[in-house]
Amino acid sequence: MLLLPKFDYEEPKSLPEALAMLSELKGNGKVIAGGTDLLVNMKKGTVKPAFLVSLKKVEGLREIAGKNGGLSVGSHVTVSEIAGSDRVISSFPVLARSASCLGSPLIRNRATIGGNIVTARPAADLPPALIILGAEVELKRKDKTRTVPLDGFFRGPGSSVIENGEVLTQIILPSAPPFTGGDYIKLGHRAALEIAIVAVASRLTLDKPDGVIVDARIVLSAVAPTAIHAVSAEKTLMGQRPSEELFAKAASLAVGDCSPITDIRGGAEYRRDMVNTLVKRTLLKALSDARDMKGGNA
Amino acid sequence: MKKLITFTVNDIEYEVAVAPNRTLTQVLRDDLNLLGTKEGCGVGDCGACTVIMDGKPVNSCLVLAVQAGGSTIKTIEGVASGDSLHPVQETFVEMGAIQCGFCTPGMILSATSLLEKNPHPTEQEVRQALSGNLCRCTGYQKIVEAVQEASRRMKG
Repeated sequence: MLLLPKFDYEEPKSLPEALAMLSELKGNGKVIAGGTDLLVNMKKGTVKPAFLVSLKKVEGLREIAGKNGGLSVGSHVTVSEIAGSDRVISSFPVLARSASCLGSPLIRNRATIGGNIVTARPAADLPPALIILGAEVELKRKDKTRTVPLDGFFRGPGSSVIENGEVLTQIILPSAPPFTGGDYIKLGHRAALEIAIVAVASRLTLDKPDGVIVDARIVLSAVAPTAIHAVSAEKTLMGQRPSEELFAKAASLAVGDCSPITDIRGGAEYRRDMVNTLVKRTLLKALSDARDMKGGNA
Repeated sequence: MKKLITFTVNDIEYEVAVAPNRTLTQVLRDDLNLLGTKEGCGVGDCGACTVIMDGKPVNSCLVLAVQAGGSTIKTIEGVASGDSLHPVQETFVEMGAIQCGFCTPGMILSATSLLEKNPHPTEQEVRQALSGNLCRCTGYQKIVEAVQEASRRMKG
């Protein structure tokens, strides 16, 4: 049986109280949300916080609300709540789809959107979808609040711009422009409890249903130390009229944009091939959704 | 330092002093003597430790007991009503959905939770709902059939 090391635990009743507590603890305190990643790492001995701060009694972190035509999602909203939210499904179906790919139903009932971001795992399911949707995250500390784009938030495996004493409180999703569509495909050996071999999130915006591409976002996951943009693939799509040939060209450029490793889940060569395939597939779906949807859905 | 928590397990309210590093699985088994909840992998992969927490199935090996303060928990011991088994328990027994039995409590809790939300699931929906519960004996087919049969019986 895997045992947890000793630590102290508190449940502050308000956010200011929690932030004061974390500031006092300096680097020794860690926030526990769903615990589905943190407790595994603590059982394996890879992280050893002396103090866990739970925000379960803090109000205002569990809501999905409309904000400026987009959405704000509290950091403690669970992954199953996101996957099942009518609001998310209708406005940001790609996010709902990526949420439904995470872990298992049991994990999704505990894991939170905030947790899936701050753990900064290279193969995490929600960040690629959130990045193509232009998500920003609100980070609060005792005396300061800042909002940063999720694009650029990650520094490497397990590492992000979040500082000691900071808490991720909200995820903000701007409304999507008209004629926008997207897709997220996760490739794994099985359908549940799987860490992606490769995952791709893509979003296309057209100027009109049969028009040219005015915005293209492709994010590749599990093929670099963090989720990355397929920069040259995105560039080649801009201003062009969508076609299968164009998508094939973008997909082969995306292969050059990533730097996969060989590990237990798959070889680097295989991952490159799958980047090619999945980029093409996500772009085709993004295009058909962009043409079908008149306004603001991705 | 131990924390005093109050929670409801199978309709009984308990007050327990727990060390922060003890999981809900450990407290259910060691303090409450509810040995139906099993610990398999301990890292959320196998689902043997499944319990229903505030209406949702979760891996109790990844919940700190202190986090369960104020919650309502149902374990496998709370599924039958008195001496009469739940339809899912009945069909598991009758249809050979149990072999070694280690995964069974978790399977049954995930299945009952599915049928409460979705009384007439498709085969795909059953498989999806049980995808966090691993069984190394049955090959799943009989488990899926038992859940579907329980759904039919509950309809009548």
